[in-house]
This record gives sequence, C-alpha cells and structure tokens, in this order.
Amino acid sequence: MKRFVIKSLLILSTLILLMIIADYYISEKLKETHNSPGEIEVWNDIYDKNIDADIAIYGSSRAWVHISPKIIEDSLNLKAYNFGMDGHNFWLQYLRNKEYLKYNKPPKVIILSVDVFSLAKRKDLYELNQFKPYMLWNSDIKKFTSSYDGFNFEDYYLPLIRYYGSMKASVIKSSSNKNPYRNKGYRGMDRKWNNDLVQAKLEKKNLSIDIDSNTITLFNQFLLECKSNDITVILVYTPEHIDGQKFVKNRKEIINIYNDFSNKYDLLFLDYSSDDICLEKEYFYNASHLNKKGSEIFTSMLAYDLKTRANSNVYKK
Amino acid sequence: MLFNSIDFAIFLPITFILYWFVTNKNLKSQNLLIVIASYIFYGWWDWRFLSLILFSTVIDYSIGISLSKQENQNKRKMLLWTSILVNLGFLGYFKYYNFFLDNFITAFSFFGTDINANSLNIILPVGISFYTFQTLSYTIDVYKRNLEPTKDFISFSAFVSFFPQLVAGPIERASNLLPQFYTKRHFDYSKAVNGMRQILWGLFKKIVIADNCAQYANIIFNNSSEYSGSTLVLGAIFFTFQIYGDFSGYSDIAIGTSRLFGFNLKQNFAFPYFSRDIAEFWRRWHISLSTWFRDYLYIPLGGSRGGTWNKIRNVFIIFLVSGFWHGANWTFIVWGALNALYFLPILLTNNNRNNLDVAAKGKFLPTIKEFLLMLFTFVLTVFAWIFFRADNIAHAINYVSEIFSNTLFTYPKYDQDDSKRSILILLFIFIIIEWYGREQQFAIENLGLKWIWPIRIAMYFAILFAIFWFGGQEQQFIYFQF
Repeated sequence: MKRFVIKSLLILSTLILLMIIADYYISEKLKETHNSPGEIEVWNDIYDKNIDADIAIYGSSRAWVHISPKIIEDSLNLKAYNFGMDGHNFWLQYLRNKEYLKYNKPPKVIILSVDVFSLAKRKDLYELNQFKPYMLWNSDIKKFTSSYDGFNFEDYYLPLIRYYGSMKASVIKSSSNKNPYRNKGYRGMDRKWNNDLVQAKLEKKNLSIDIDSNTITLFNQFLLECKSNDITVILVYTPEHIDGQKFVKNRKEIINIYNDFSNKYDLLFLDYSSDDICLEKEYFYNASHLNKKGSEIFTSMLAYDLKTRANSNVYKK
Repeated sequence: MLFNSIDFAIFLPITFILYWFVTNKNLKSQNLLIVIASYIFYGWWDWRFLSLILFSTVIDYSIGISLSKQENQNKRKMLLWTSILVNLGFLGYFKYYNFFLDNFITAFSFFGTDINANSLNIILPVGISFYTFQTLSYTIDVYKRNLEPTKDFISFSAFVSFFPQLVAGPIERASNLLPQFYTKRHFDYSKAVNGMRQILWGLFKKIVIADNCAQYANIIFNNSSEYSGSTLVLGAIFFTFQIYGDFSGYSDIAIGTSRLFGFNLKQNFAFPYFSRDIAEFWRRWHISLSTWFRDYLYIPLGGSRGGTWNKIRNVFIIFLVSGFWHGANWTFIVWGALNALYFLPILLTNNNRNNLDVAAKGKFLPTIKEFLLMLFTFVLTVFAWIFFRADNIAHAINYVSEIFSNTLFTYPKYDQDDSKRSILILLFIFIIIEWYGREQQFAIENLGLKWIWPIRIAMYFAILFAIFWFGGQEQQFIYFQF
C-alpha cells in the first residue's frame, strides 16, 4: 500500500508540475492573440504595468468603439487609455478598474461611459477566453467572474483545467493574426448601418432593462473609492441612435439614476442622447454603436466639451 | 457523477483513502462506506432517484430471504413475479411509458379512433436498466436455488449500488460480486496498478476516441441529407468507434476502479471489432448484457434446442428484447432485428461456435481469410449501428439510401479544418494498440510492463497528454440514457 501511495503521489506531483508548465505555456500563447476582440491586449497592458494615462476611459463596447484616446490626447494634451470592455456591464468594468489601479499609476480623470445596460448584469460570461491567461489563483478575477455562467470552482485553482477542450485551439490561434486589434484600447469600426435593431424588434416589441441591485452598490462603492483617491469621475452617455433610444422602455428611469449619482457625488454628467448626431444613421453601425466616422466626430465633440470645462476648471457638476 | 469529471477525480481518492486507511479494520464499515459513497455518487446526478435504488434493494433483499424460507412452489413463484413486476414496473414506467402511449395513440388513430392521452414529462433515472437487471438476476438465481440469499443487508445494498458499475454496468451477477462483499479485501499492489492502467485506458477511449468521433458523427448524422454517400459511410464508422470507445471505456474505468477497492468485475468488452462472425461479435460486445439475456431469457425459452422455428423465434426474441432494452425507440428494435438476421444463418448452419478463440492467436497478423471475415463482420456491424444512431426509422432509411447513391465513390468531405486528419490518425493508432493487446483483458494491460520505468511512465504521460490535448468535447456517456 505504502509503495502504491508513494508512487501515485510521485506521478501526481509530476503531473501537476507538467500541468503548471503547460498552463504557463498556453497562457503565454493566448496572451499573444488579439481575439476576444482585442480584450487580451488591454489585459496585457494592465498586468504588464504598461499603462500611463491621465485620462482613463471606462465602459462597455460603447466606450471601446466611441472614444478615441488619440483625439483626446491631441486635444487636451493629456495621456489617455480606453478600457472599454465589449459586452459587459459595470460589474466587470469594475474588475478591470480594480486590476488597472492595482498594477498601474492611477489616472487623474475617469471618463465613465454609462448606458442603459451599465447597471444590469448579464448571466453568461461573455468572451470568457479573455480571462483565461490571468485567472489562475487570481482572487479578484474569481470574485468578479464566479457569479456568471462560465467557469467552475476548479478553473480558478487547478492549472490547465480551464483550457481543457481548447488547448489545441489556444495554441493554434496564437500563431495567427499578429496585428494588434486595438490602439490604446480603442478601435473605430469602419461599418455601415446594419439591421441589428430590426432583428431585435422582430424578437421583442421593446426592451425593459432589469437593474441589478448589487451593481448599484458596486457603482456607489466605485464612486466613493474614486473620491477618496482624488480621481475625478465624469459620467458620459455617449450617442445612441434615436431609434434605439425609443426601443428601451425604461430608458428615462435609468438616465435618472445617473442623474441621481451625478447629484449625490457632485459629478459632471454629459448626456449626448439629444445631440443631432443621434438622428443620423450615417454615423452608426447599429442603434447603440457609432462607426469610425461617428466616433471621431463624437470624440472631438467630447474633447471640446472637456477642454472648455477644464479651462474653467469645472470637472464637477 | 461522471467518471470523466473533476468531481469524480476528487471523489475517488477520498473514497479510496477512507476505504483503505479508515474503515479497513472492519469489513462491515468498509461495505457501509461503499454504500454511502455509491449513494453520493448516484445522488450527485439526482438525489431523488436514490429512493428507487433503495426501494429495489429492500424489495429484492426481502424477497430473497422469503424465497429461502418458502418451500411452497406457488408462493415462491409469486415472490419471484413480485420482484420481476416491481423491477420491470419501474423500468417500464420510467423508460417505456411514453413510447407505448405514443404507439397506442398512433395505432388507434390508424384505425380511425382518436385517443386523448398526454405523454408524461418523465425523467429517465440514470442507470435504471443496469441496476434493475442486476437485482433481478439475484432474485432469479435465489429462486432457482443457484444462489444462497444474503442476510447481510449492507452487503446486498453495496452489491446493488456499487458505484463503479452502478449506472452503466457491467451488469454483475450476484454469484460473482456479492460473495466479494462477504470476505475481507486485502490491498494488492499489482491489482491496483492494473486497475489504474485500465482506468487510464478507459479515459483515453472515452475522451480521445469516443468524444472526438462523436463530434463528427453528430455533425454527419444530424445533417445527413447534406452529405455524400462516402461521407455518410465515414459518419457511420465514426459512430461505430464512438459507441465502442464510449461504452467499453466506461466499462474499463468501472472495472479498473473496482480493482482499486479489491473487487474483480467481469470483462464486458473483448475487442468485438476483431470478430470473425456476428456470433463472435455478440460474445465480445457488452458481454454482461448478452450473457444476462442468454441465461435468463434465451435458455429458459429453449435456447438453440428444439426445431428450426423455435430457434428462429428464440433468436428474434432475444435480439428484439436486447434492442428494446437500449431504448424506447423503433430504431433500437430494428437494430436488434438486423442483428437477429445476421445471426440466424450462422445458428441454423451450426457455425455459431466456430470462432471461440481470439483472432490470429499468438500471431501478429491475421491470415487473409481472417482479415476478410473481420472486415465483413465489421461492415455488418457498422450498417446496424446506423439504425442504432438514427433519430427515427425514416432518418435511418434516408441515411442508408443516401449512402447507396452515386456519391458513394466521391472523396468524403465533412469538415473544413485539419482535425479530421488527426482523428483518423488517432483511430489508426488506437486500432493498432487494440489489436496488439487483443489477447488481454484490456489493450494496454501488458503494454510496457517490461520496459524500464522512465519509458513506462512516459507512456502514461503520453496518454494523459492525449487526454488533455484532444479532450474536452464533453459528451455524456451514451449508455447513461439506457
């Protein structure tokens, strides 16, 4: 029995060691990829401590494809980085903020792009591959992703297990597509208006968004943390096409929540919902996303507004 | 709990440690541990159905004791039928209720009578066909006075619910397994190592071979109208290896796990695809079920004794019942009928016991005759599996008719990437290893035993690497649904 147990433990130890090595190798390979789409590039910049930004842009894909850091930098003469996270609500945007601040110099200003989905919480862990290279024994990632349908308990603690079933794909993918997908976290989309909204309307007459109470609590916590760290937060509701605005039933109530936050914490809230740009399909590729042309016009507009406020030193309400 | 899950990878060592280090001093506690572990193993899937196992256990245990005390033949018969009705009643309700109902409705509506009856939303308890047959065999053996009934309830519970083989067999006979619970088990190093090797090979068969074949078999079967005849042939071959890897892999893991706990289960698969005729195939495929039907159905019906018509009737009964055992679908019944048709000519010409030994015994390569016979039997088997896998009879007929179209001789196309090549290479390597190890209980039983340890260990790691590299398709074990 003793012989069997010792040999089993030896084989198990070797197996675990090999799993750790393989895990490291695959994680490094996956970090080289530009999939998910480009989320891994942002995570790399965060964990490699590559970010030196005065202005951090937070939000979902509506931050990612709407706000060009380059235009902000050229206009304000400050360094900027876009942390927009495709498909995710504030719950996971906060995780990105947490990891960013943990490994990098904090920004002076955070432009937080809010929208109707920010305070909701989706069930699935969209683009979950983006977390794989960094999540082993990472308590922050576990804390914020474990409530989603995505990873199991063992994925956070046992090496290689989370790659089970995608090892081959992870290694093969890394050898293709070497060009970065994003530039300082941003990518302008060269696309024309599509029929996403028509499809959505075929499925539902209108949409009512459920607000997640835990996300509201987290939002409050985030604003308090920024206040105590002397980071200015500016809430921005980036342009949304008028047809999309009409599609969301409780949009007004949600905007009111942001107004309440703005009042409570004395924050500047720039709402571009009524801007003329929202009437032109030419600047959008779907109801909630500006195309490259639209995003450049909008970022210039935002930069101008920020500059005007900065000159009068009123980044507050 | 699935054998190919993290849950089981944690459950197994914990049970192993408790079994050999905590409860090893006392046989009763060891058996009790097996019962508890088995109930956890089963309850992990759905604890509500534990009551079914417990009920079957109590009924058959009580009937067994009553049978031993009862001398009156009529009363003994009544006790036996009680056990049969209870066990088959559960099976019938959970597995066949909707099938019979739907077919009755269809049959009556065919004759112009509409019946209003709704199907029930019944969840099929995992493994019910397996443990039902196992407990039934106990009662029948006790009734026939082939077996002394047990008075040890814990041992009997452990026999019914023994977790390695609870949900997908092998279907053990009480005469083999039950006595092993009466005697103290001693840890045997070589037996445990052998068990570990069998588990490893079982995982390889399931995760690497079956799950990868399943990926393609599913694509081809689910979209069969879009593919050429040659691709459909390939799809059927993929399914042939999927079902073998899946089920024999499960049996290997079950047998290997049992060995870790000092138990010997019977071999359930003996390299069936190297059979030279269909009778040999059925002596090598799902042996525990085939012998169950042979002993409790075929022989009581008269077996191969009597006239030609009796033989034909008995062969059809056993194969149709065997098909129906697999599931409540006409496809399984046709699959059984096809096998009966394959088997009958061999039986009627008294050639059913020609190939009792392993093919090319003691030789590396088969003779041309042996090879052709194996190939012929394999083709017959592949053809029958089409009916087994198809969604319904119409699907199977369409699948077969598409095969025999003018696209049969075109190059098979079913996937855009290179993984099809890797699975074909894997299958080739797998067949070679299986052929090399065909005289053993499982293919790698003796492989590498005489090699120096670093190479032997490297072989284990190579298999583990393949499991990780090619694994993760996460297919359920097919036989869970039976």
